[in-house]
Amino acid sequence: MNTPPDTRPLMRRLFERRSLDTLAPVPKFATYAILLAWTFVVLFPLYWVLVTSLKIQIQVDAGPYYIPFVDFTPHLDAWNFMLFQNNTLWPYMNSIIVALTSTILALLFGSMAAYALVRIRFQVKLAAIIAFIVLVIGVIVAVVEFAVPWQVAILAAIVLFFLALTSIGRRFKAALGNNDIEFWMISNRIMPPIVAVLPIYVMFQHLKLLDTQIALISTYTAVNLPIVVWLTRDFFAGIPLDLEESAEIDGASKFRVFFTIALPLVRSGLAATFMLVLILAWNEYLLALFLSNANAQTMPVLVSAQNTTRGPQWWYMSVLIVIMIVPVIVIAAFLQKHIARGLLIGAVKG
Amino acid sequence: MQVTLKNIHKSFGAVDVVKGLDLDVKDGEFLVLLGASGSGKTTALRMIAGLETVTSGTIQIGERDVTNILPKYRDIAMVFQSYALYPHKTVFANIAYPLTVRKHPRAEIEAAVKDVARQVQLDTLLERYPRQLSGGQRQRVALARAIIRRPAAFLMDEPLSNLDAKLRGYMRAELKHMQHELGITTIYVTHDQVEAMTLAHRVALLDKGVLQQLDTPATIYNAPANLFVAGFIGSPPMNFLQGELIDGGFSSAAGSFGTRSRATNPHAVAGIRPEDCRVTTPELGKFAGEVFATELIGDHALVTCRCSGSNVTVKVEKDFQRGIDEKIGIGFDEKALHLFDSQSGSRLA
Repeated sequence: MNTPPDTRPLMRRLFERRSLDTLAPVPKFATYAILLAWTFVVLFPLYWVLVTSLKIQIQVDAGPYYIPFVDFTPHLDAWNFMLFQNNTLWPYMNSIIVALTSTILALLFGSMAAYALVRIRFQVKLAAIIAFIVLVIGVIVAVVEFAVPWQVAILAAIVLFFLALTSIGRRFKAALGNNDIEFWMISNRIMPPIVAVLPIYVMFQHLKLLDTQIALISTYTAVNLPIVVWLTRDFFAGIPLDLEESAEIDGASKFRVFFTIALPLVRSGLAATFMLVLILAWNEYLLALFLSNANAQTMPVLVSAQNTTRGPQWWYMSVLIVIMIVPVIVIAAFLQKHIARGLLIGAVKG
Repeated sequence: MQVTLKNIHKSFGAVDVVKGLDLDVKDGEFLVLLGASGSGKTTALRMIAGLETVTSGTIQIGERDVTNILPKYRDIAMVFQSYALYPHKTVFANIAYPLTVRKHPRAEIEAAVKDVARQVQLDTLLERYPRQLSGGQRQRVALARAIIRRPAAFLMDEPLSNLDAKLRGYMRAELKHMQHELGITTIYVTHDQVEAMTLAHRVALLDKGVLQQLDTPATIYNAPANLFVAGFIGSPPMNFLQGELIDGGFSSAAGSFGTRSRATNPHAVAGIRPEDCRVTTPELGKFAGEVFATELIGDHALVTCRCSGSNVTVKVEKDFQRGIDEKIGIGFDEKALHLFDSQSGSRLA
């Protein structure tokens, strides 16, 4: 058999990995120069944070000093204060618990939603959605304005909803499909969070959950869900349908197909999504600022709190930033081997 | 167990894919659904599997009506064209999957997997992953996964079409032997008539969603029910001559000859297979024409002959030597002649 002509897209061929040895001297030098420059851009802030954490106030104010032991004498004062005198461990634990839990929940629910959107065809009647929204508003008005007991209001709304489904449902055929549902989910992410912060604050105030990890976890899960759905949808769509049909014939339920066939096959995509969502939750500042106080305070809030009336305490901030970066790097290193391609090789065809 | 389809219809939107299909597959039978692409054969199989809903009609497996039952409760096994092996599971886990999801005890699963793996000669490859196997080995994993549970019926969707020609011939024999050994009702979809003729107890030939003929391979070949079946089965295909039939005498532009029929039909088609024709001198032949092309196939050759506008192919000896445009006669035995009505397409007695 002769080899088929190269039909890959042009961009693919342009960006194909090529050995640096095969380049001519000038492009080779230029390549190295650009790479070095970019490496500097990427790594210098990290380096700067690290050396700043080893400085005391006078060295920061009189600086800039660049190299420890040469430019200035490093001190561990900031580290000592942050780790042993200040209460840093508590926000650190909060950050870990909140970020990990919300990411796992978002990934679990988000991937299930994405899978359903890919494999099941939904047809939600527009009339049903409108009836639902009208009834929700009705319940709120009834409870707040007319002091109807909320149990009664909700029960009445449910009955009315099902009555509406059976009557108007037949008249109005307009329905929303999978694409509409997906767009609605992503549109949740288009809205600037600052718009939602006050209502969310009031909600948790009424639920008496302000300044708790539960408030942060549930909010982060909800906020990151659309991203998970959006990212994992394409991974699921890439699984050959034969595999899932075969599993169904072999006797597996839809849930079983999802957990034993679909999920393992998209694990590289899930790992990447996990990383992204974890970083989003880990770095989240605005919601944490509103919803947490002393108990549930997370690291980003603590970092910003170092900007005190005495001016920004750069050395303390640097210590916090360094210990914030470490776990993310560790997790990324662990997930590295899962973020690999070619998992579907051998599934289908000869 | 027997599988019965009664008046099955399937439409995708406005497109009717299967139109009133009736099938009665006997217990232990090897039935092949044969047809070109778009004939509805795969859709029919997927409806039996429960992967497609039926628009109307009923499907029974054994005595049980399974028309609206989920695939997993139908007690069937299916082999896909793509094999559909689970790439993240070992060969062992792939074969064991139908038993693991049904929560069979661990020891029983292990024994069963070892047993079927030996049957399909995979016992040394159980720890490998599908990507580490050749096409033929993957095919055998798919088969092993199907037979491990002894289902009520096997469904196979072109299982051999991804193999190269040599392996395909080998696996065909394996498959036939295995089906004979196990005695499990098998419904097999293919577009390859050789596969259909060699494997099937009975062949169901479909065209545009309609069943054309359901019979043994021999009957389908020897007595095709209509023009479509006659033209589909046989390679090279049957020669057709348009003409008219008067009291059993057939006359066409290419020539006139007597038949065993006594019928009269102004729109008749005479069909004769290339292998039933022989080349004679122009005077002795039932009709005559000029050599258009000769093709050497190997153990035989094919002569295409121009007979007053119709092309007629004749299978001849491999040492056949005639020049282009040379006039030859074509003769055949009256028993080998097939007569059809050109309007309805159906076979004339």
